[in-house]
Amino acid sequence: MMGRTIFIDPGRCIGCQACVSACRECDSHRGKSMIHLDYTDEGQSVASLPTVCMHCEDPVAPCAEVCPADAILVTADGVVQQADTTRCIGCANCVNACPFGVPKIDLQAKLQMKCNLCYDRTAYGLAPMCATVCPTGALFYGTVEELQAERPGVQVADTFVFGRSEVRTGVAMVVPADKVQWPVPGGLPVVEINGKDVRR
Amino acid sequence: MPAAPPPPGAAAPRSVTARATAAGVIVSALLILAIVFGSRLLENFDSALLPYAVATVFLAFGVAYRYTVWVSAPGARRLFKQGWRTFFSVANFRQAPTALPRMIATYLGFQKFLGARSYARWAAHQLIFWGCILASLITFPLTWGWFTFTSGSGSGPGYEMRIWGFKIIGFDSLDILGWLMFHGLDIAAVLVIPGASYFFWRRMKDRGAITGQRFAYDLVPLIALIVISVTGLLLTFSSIFLHGGGYEFLAILHMMSVVFTLIYIPFGKFFHIVQRPAAVGMQLFKYTARQNQEVFGCRRCEEPIDTGPYVENLRGTMRDLGLGFDEWAEYCPRCKRVLRGSAYLSQVKKGFK
Repeated sequence: MMGRTIFIDPGRCIGCQACVSACRECDSHRGKSMIHLDYTDEGQSVASLPTVCMHCEDPVAPCAEVCPADAILVTADGVVQQADTTRCIGCANCVNACPFGVPKIDLQAKLQMKCNLCYDRTAYGLAPMCATVCPTGALFYGTVEELQAERPGVQVADTFVFGRSEVRTGVAMVVPADKVQWPVPGGLPVVEINGKDVRR
Repeated sequence: MPAAPPPPGAAAPRSVTARATAAGVIVSALLILAIVFGSRLLENFDSALLPYAVATVFLAFGVAYRYTVWVSAPGARRLFKQGWRTFFSVANFRQAPTALPRMIATYLGFQKFLGARSYARWAAHQLIFWGCILASLITFPLTWGWFTFTSGSGSGPGYEMRIWGFKIIGFDSLDILGWLMFHGLDIAAVLVIPGASYFFWRRMKDRGAITGQRFAYDLVPLIALIVISVTGLLLTFSSIFLHGGGYEFLAILHMMSVVFTLIYIPFGKFFHIVQRPAAVGMQLFKYTARQNQEVFGCRRCEEPIDTGPYVENLRGTMRDLGLGFDEWAEYCPRCKRVLRGSAYLSQVKKGFK
């Protein structure tokens, strides 16, 4: 986990879309929002999940690994940058390999875009746009110590499991104290699709 | 258990380095032979242009080396193979014979995709692109001794243009064709300067472009293009208006900037010039599969993800890289997020409490 990073607490998310609007103001992708806000059980629950780039550390950025054009740079501070406009060929390998479903693609422009942790701001010590405007603290930017000082007893996890693979990330999620020791489930293996049990 | 793949940006394995070095040596040796024989055993070789010719040999080595390293990585290797496989498929050619020429014209030539990003960037890039194409077509054969301009009278105005010693065209240096022939590089410079200047201005002003900007990667190529073009134009200015004043200094400055740029091409931003054509193969691979109705839908919501062969190719790449969640590629990004959210909702924080 990076020193100062984003901590996501879906339990606090009220689905207000403030983060989605603020993300559009980020200088590196002005006018286009890179954050995803999904309703996980639409029609049944108001639960919502904000998704920013998790800046995978181990394995290092699967999106960058599968890129055939070496277009995705991982900076020394662990931030996985969006595709270099000169190199990106718009093949969508990163879009479909990302275990968190983060990158977006403009097929006309043949260009991938994704959350880059508001590098224009965080490189200068400012919080990303989404965390700045989040009214409930579902997106918190800072160190884990700063988070725990503000929310005593809170625990975070930075390891996710997809089938038999684990992915450790730079961005972390808030988890209950009894769930700290095991990785956060990433959704794979898929056990149920549209109400049908798909386990073999 | 397979060995863990190197992280992005890590040094290439020794076998790849050896293969890349061999490719570099072979290609540069072939270029030297082509220079020797193309200039009729150096008879037509202009020794004043020797530094340029040597730089192109280094360029050939660098490009072949870097290209080999690049296509050895799993992601590039698989798409590269699929692109060529599609290209050589007779069935695909019969089905869509115009697909490849159309892609080459719209993607590589007129770069329509850049227009979708920004019209100003598209226009500026077109100026640089056509200027560099023109300059390359003139200077590379000249420095290799492949082009020669000879005059029966010694000082013109009648000239003959020869390629590999064979006469191609005769012209009068004082008419329009002659003027165009002798000022081709000036025209190229006039195209490149506004294009590169626009990008330079953008790199100073556009906060999106400035984010993560690196001097050596983003600014040096633009400075190099501008210096080459300006010094090239000044050479013409010197010979026409200054009776050759300052010509030698300008010639050395121009040569140094060109040599530096040629050697920089394989290792910096300019490498996209070499990479881009390979992207046509990727497009052809996807296009032909789409023609055959081989669209792959998300396992959960059935929204099209991409073509079936593409998804299979990506899964293979992920397996090559030791990314053990390749079956996840069969779900669309939204469903991945929703399924992760559901798992969090049901297994981590019940009801997100």
